[in-house]
Amino acid sequence: MSKAKEKTEYPCYTTTKSDEWYARAAEVIPAGVYGHLGPAEGQFIPVNRWPRFSDRAKGSYFWDVDGNRYIDYMCAYGPNVLGYGDPDVDAAAIKQIELGNCTTSPNKIMVECAELLVDTVASADWAFFCKNGNDATQGAILTARAHTHRKKLIFFKGFYHGVSPTVQKIDYPGVTPEDVANNLYTAWDDIEGFKRIVEENKGEIAALIAQPYDHGNFYDNKFPAEGFWQEVRKICTENEILIIVDDVRTGFRLDLAGSDHYFGFEADLICFCKALANGYNMSAFCGKEFLKGAASGLSYTGSYWMSAVPFAACIACINKMKEINAPALFKELGTEFTEGLKAAAAENGFDLVVSGAPSLFYLRIANDDSLMIHQDWIAECVNRGLFLASHHNHFINASLTHDDIKESIAIAEDAFRATRKLHPEIG
Amino acid sequence: MIDQKTLAYINLYGILGALENLCELVPEAGELLTNKKPLTIGFDVKGGPAASITFYNGRCKMTDGCGKCDVKLPFGSPEKFNGLIDGTTTPIPSKGYLHIGFLLKSFTALTDLLSKYLQPSEEDLKDPDFFNISTTLTLYVVGVALAQVANQDEIGKFSASNTPDGSVMLDIKGGPAVELVIKNHHFICLKKRPEKYRASMTFVDVETANALFNGTINALAALGVGKVEMHGMSNMLDNVNRILDRVSLYLA
Repeated sequence: MSKAKEKTEYPCYTTTKSDEWYARAAEVIPAGVYGHLGPAEGQFIPVNRWPRFSDRAKGSYFWDVDGNRYIDYMCAYGPNVLGYGDPDVDAAAIKQIELGNCTTSPNKIMVECAELLVDTVASADWAFFCKNGNDATQGAILTARAHTHRKKLIFFKGFYHGVSPTVQKIDYPGVTPEDVANNLYTAWDDIEGFKRIVEENKGEIAALIAQPYDHGNFYDNKFPAEGFWQEVRKICTENEILIIVDDVRTGFRLDLAGSDHYFGFEADLICFCKALANGYNMSAFCGKEFLKGAASGLSYTGSYWMSAVPFAACIACINKMKEINAPALFKELGTEFTEGLKAAAAENGFDLVVSGAPSLFYLRIANDDSLMIHQDWIAECVNRGLFLASHHNHFINASLTHDDIKESIAIAEDAFRATRKLHPEIG
Repeated sequence: MIDQKTLAYINLYGILGALENLCELVPEAGELLTNKKPLTIGFDVKGGPAASITFYNGRCKMTDGCGKCDVKLPFGSPEKFNGLIDGTTTPIPSKGYLHIGFLLKSFTALTDLLSKYLQPSEEDLKDPDFFNISTTLTLYVVGVALAQVANQDEIGKFSASNTPDGSVMLDIKGGPAVELVIKNHHFICLKKRPEKYRASMTFVDVETANALFNGTINALAALGVGKVEMHGMSNMLDNVNRILDRVSLYLA
């Protein structure tokens, strides 16, 4: 029996140094830490129970500036796919650093990386490299508009496709009504609504941009109904509307050949980022042959988009994911963890709902309709070293061990007990 | 960009609506209405809101519409009504000339007193009692204004369309609270602490509340440094915050 299995109580961490670093940050950085890694978007409720800065990371763990260790199920919101500091990926990156990184003439490894993506991703005949997920989704939108000479885009409500004004919403700071004037919105998995919006805008729609399943924040994640994507594909083909699959979050965690392949249809354009290179900074959008001309003509580039080190990391990462059959491993580990969590929740009087793919599971305690109990439980988990999020899907990485999962469930159980004390109404 | 119709709703329900609370909280306000017969003033804004305020026995109460009023003030447009609030329009009653004295004296004195609390001087704020009343009234105005922006402003309506049903509490720690009741994406503000709510946004002190209301600090930044605490349905709060951003534009 492992020590992790025997231990049942996990003391709460202190985060004094995080507080100090955050105070320094708030002086010189807007919001201290802006964006999804910060306390506001990251839903640090209450903020002082969360680490705000890390010191180091390895495998499935990171350590904060106070020296606390966390078993990390957010994986830097996805990029950590093989484990922090994976030796094979890092060795490939270090080898490439010695050969050159950001050079006037791009390193030939870029070609090898594109060839590997084309060989790996079912709907890819070419690959266009950039840095972040947003670059990839914007590149795909530009390609779709350049090819179709149409301006409108369809989005499924609850979407997130990056941070460019085009894909933000009218009420977001800094976004103007003109930025989103060509955006059409319809409900996820509502084929009749989709048909209606296509009919109402006939000949004007360049593309549908969509996640392969509804993995929005704050609500249970939803897979498409049987035949949904096939019907959408048919309607889009008939109306010469391109399908852009935003596989930034889900890419390679469901299927190495792309999430469109997983759901049995073909995207025209598909976007990747998070799991491409195990934390080395790159993204890509891939497309069908008939769109290569449109992509070739884009005025779309960046100072670091052809840096060689991430390409080397990407090749090593994809090859390793193939070698270990990463999607199957993620499914197995994700299922083991979430089944354990559900059992621990039930044992303690909590109704824990798990949704989405096991490799990208979403959690919600359904004992109340306000998420307050859920947020309290997440805070108890995080403050004991199990890093989860209350609002977002999670991520499994390949370095996660069965012992890590056992320890995670033990921490979760301790957190359930602490949450029960906060909420005597649970009984 | 400010929409004049939305501003008229804010000015009527938020600003003039705060006279009810002024009379409850500030004895001087109540005294202006004592020993006077009950009187109802109707505000009828063409292409905008209509409501009446009844003044009675040291108190006042706002009701929707102006069908039963002693004095009726018609305004040809939201802009003209907004001019009443910023002092650039002098209203002419279409009914109730006999009560012009009340309008010129008691009503003007009440609105001047309200302005004193809603646009306080630094000197006045040094008095803790004044500070607390000023903040309470400001919270009420902001809460009502938030509901008007959610229901009237085009961008506010978009945020409201993404807000699930339920109650949201906005409160100041140890101080007043308002309840935003959201049903079918329509917002109503109740000036009370709710018994049950799906989400809460708590300002840890009145200074933070004031800074947020006047747009000098951002809710996301305040959350990081522990000046604002949020709990519950974050997607409700997310949208409420977006509307709150627009409220500061209207109340600036």
